[in-house]
Amino acid sequence: MWEQIRANRVRSIILVILMGALLVLIGWIIGMVFAGNAIAGLVIALIVWGFMSLIAYFQGDSILLGVAGAKKIQPSDHPRLYNVVEEMKIASGLEKMPDVYIIDDPALNAFATGRDVNHASVAITSGLLQKLNRDELQGVIGHEISHIKNRDVLLMSMCGVLLGTIVILSFYASRVMMFGAIAGGGGNRRSSRNSNGGGGGAIIIFIIAILLMILAPIFAQLIYFAISRKREYLADASSALYTRYPEGLASALEKLAQSSIPVKSATQATAPMYIANPFRNKNVSVNDWTSTHPPIQERIRILRAMGGGAAYSNYDQAYRTIKNTNSGIISDNTAAAVGAVGLRAAVAEGPVETAAPVDDKMTRTREVNDMMYRMNDYKTIQCECGAKLKVPPSMQGGVIKCPRCGRTHQA
Amino acid sequence: MWLIWVILGIVVIIIIFLAGTYNGLVNARNVVKNAWAQIDVQLKRRYDLIPNLVETVKGYKNFERDTLEAVTKARTAAQTASTSGDIAARSAAEGELTGALSRLMVVVEKYPDLKANQNFLALQEELTSTENKISFSRQAYNDQVLQYNNKTQQFPSNIVAGMFGFNKEQAFLQATESDAEKKAPKVSF
Amino acid sequence: MICPVCKKDMFVVEYKQIELDYCHSCKGVWFDAGELELLLEAGGLKEAKQTLGDVLKLPEARTSEKKRRCPICTINMKKVVIGGEKGVMIDACIRHDGLWFDGGEVADLIKIISAKATGKKETESEIMGFLKDVFGG
Repeated sequence: MWEQIRANRVRSIILVILMGALLVLIGWIIGMVFAGNAIAGLVIALIVWGFMSLIAYFQGDSILLGVAGAKKIQPSDHPRLYNVVEEMKIASGLEKMPDVYIIDDPALNAFATGRDVNHASVAITSGLLQKLNRDELQGVIGHEISHIKNRDVLLMSMCGVLLGTIVILSFYASRVMMFGAIAGGGGNRRSSRNSNGGGGGAIIIFIIAILLMILAPIFAQLIYFAISRKREYLADASSALYTRYPEGLASALEKLAQSSIPVKSATQATAPMYIANPFRNKNVSVNDWTSTHPPIQERIRILRAMGGGAAYSNYDQAYRTIKNTNSGIISDNTAAAVGAVGLRAAVAEGPVETAAPVDDKMTRTREVNDMMYRMNDYKTIQCECGAKLKVPPSMQGGVIKCPRCGRTHQA
Repeated sequence: MWLIWVILGIVVIIIIFLAGTYNGLVNARNVVKNAWAQIDVQLKRRYDLIPNLVETVKGYKNFERDTLEAVTKARTAAQTASTSGDIAARSAAEGELTGALSRLMVVVEKYPDLKANQNFLALQEELTSTENKISFSRQAYNDQVLQYNNKTQQFPSNIVAGMFGFNKEQAFLQATESDAEKKAPKVSF
Repeated sequence: MICPVCKKDMFVVEYKQIELDYCHSCKGVWFDAGELELLLEAGGLKEAKQTLGDVLKLPEARTSEKKRRCPICTINMKKVVIGGEKGVMIDACIRHDGLWFDGGEVADLIKIISAKATGKKETESEIMGFLKDVFGG
């Protein structure tokens, strides 16, 4: 497993270096244009980047969880979810149990965060928790845990910071330059200081600078997306390996694909953290290189084409078949290190389609909703007529009349 | 003069190699030990859950005595084997227990009242999860043992392993292939 | 959840494992899309996913009644008439979040369903049947 992390890391690092080079380039141009001194620009770029990185490193997870409105849960709040996270923690060989969070949102999604394996969290929306059976939940959590295990979270947040810095710097620099060009008119003050004679040369540098300012963020974004997509495939492969049951994740992704509710609190920068693209739109098949996630249908097809095994080599083979390519997603020595791995059977709850899915779904929905009510301090009253009244804290203390039978209750 | 430097350089390289390989082996062995401890924790958890389960199920009249007794007996046998230190004997006993539990869970299907009992459902979730944790920790342990054993056998780390007495570890494979589990119906208990 | 009419907290009524949000002061009812799906699936209607889409396909009712905002997405809801020609006007969220029934509308719906008593399994009759179960007794 270490081999695989290393091999993938090398490829990712090359891409990160490319992004870093873009940042350096931006800084250099800013320095040249505004101060006539490349070093000054570099220093500014690095200070902005360093500052943002520190925030992202130490506060990134709490910011992300806070923005998403995630609430931490205890084992007793939802034993099944907590158990599944623990199972995947064991299967992946993580040493520390990640914190488990729940997001009150009907959208279907989940993400992992935390700067390293010892400061990690997984979060899942209440909508997804309701929709998934045990096997599917295990697949999704396996995917998230593998983001933690493969150190994707840190990689992606650091890349996010790089991307953010590039976007911010080039945005403001290009605005200031445009403004300066218009306000400066015939180029009397600034350009005469920058270029010692040769006004034409200054204009060319200026145009190149503007072009770069526009192109750099786009390039950075594409690199970012490329890194992100690779990590998603790898996380799917790891999930299949941990659970020994690729169908669980495949079936969960199918449910995700059917839903078109966007995640309320997702932003472009946090998108790669989610298990599926949080801005998904049913009518657009996001199937190009401007996407943070590989198309969900393709991920499902790969998982289902794994045949009789759950090893990396099976996933790699399936990836090649589905993508019709010779270059796999997982390095050869990785696949060899893990060897052949068989599948397991579905859990007692039954294969995904059979075994009274409606009842299960209803029970799960009530289970999850009741947990959300408990966490929001609702009070439940059982009325004699068979209805249950769940009263929010603001209405407690008053008298509640059951709308079904008219009996009154002290809330 | 330069010869001394070359020799010194080679010695330094050898020391770095030895230290690195030695530390790598120690790490791998610790990971194996941790993985083993993890299995142990989960197996103990299972011993703890069984009396509760038996108590809950016993309350239901006409519940098949034989199935319950088989579970209790298998639990006692497994617990005894856990103190013996013999991995092969232990994984056989644990395999028996897994089989007995899975038969119990099949019998439970015949009792709709029991399946509606909140207490039982909570226990069932705990037991399902513990069974999963056992097989996941076994899975992780076997993977780690494979990697550690590879290191002790492959060149050049086998030299260091030989020098400092890193022995092969035994995999906990028997339980996955145990007869009890093979015969058990398709339920993941 | 906040009542889209009174802007006060609503409480939740669970009956037969289906939840409704109920406003104590205006007697209005919010039927959440997820709960609707559960109800229809339990009733054996396969196309539960289409339900809200079906309701939303109905023509926008011409009325002077004030537009209501969806309590979930806060977007103005669409007024549609369900329960046939002389049916009841309800509000449906255009983002498929759910349906809103004003206080009087539930009672009117129950009257309609009692008069009709169709045996046919349909989205609308399932919804009205359930509301009758909860508020009709």
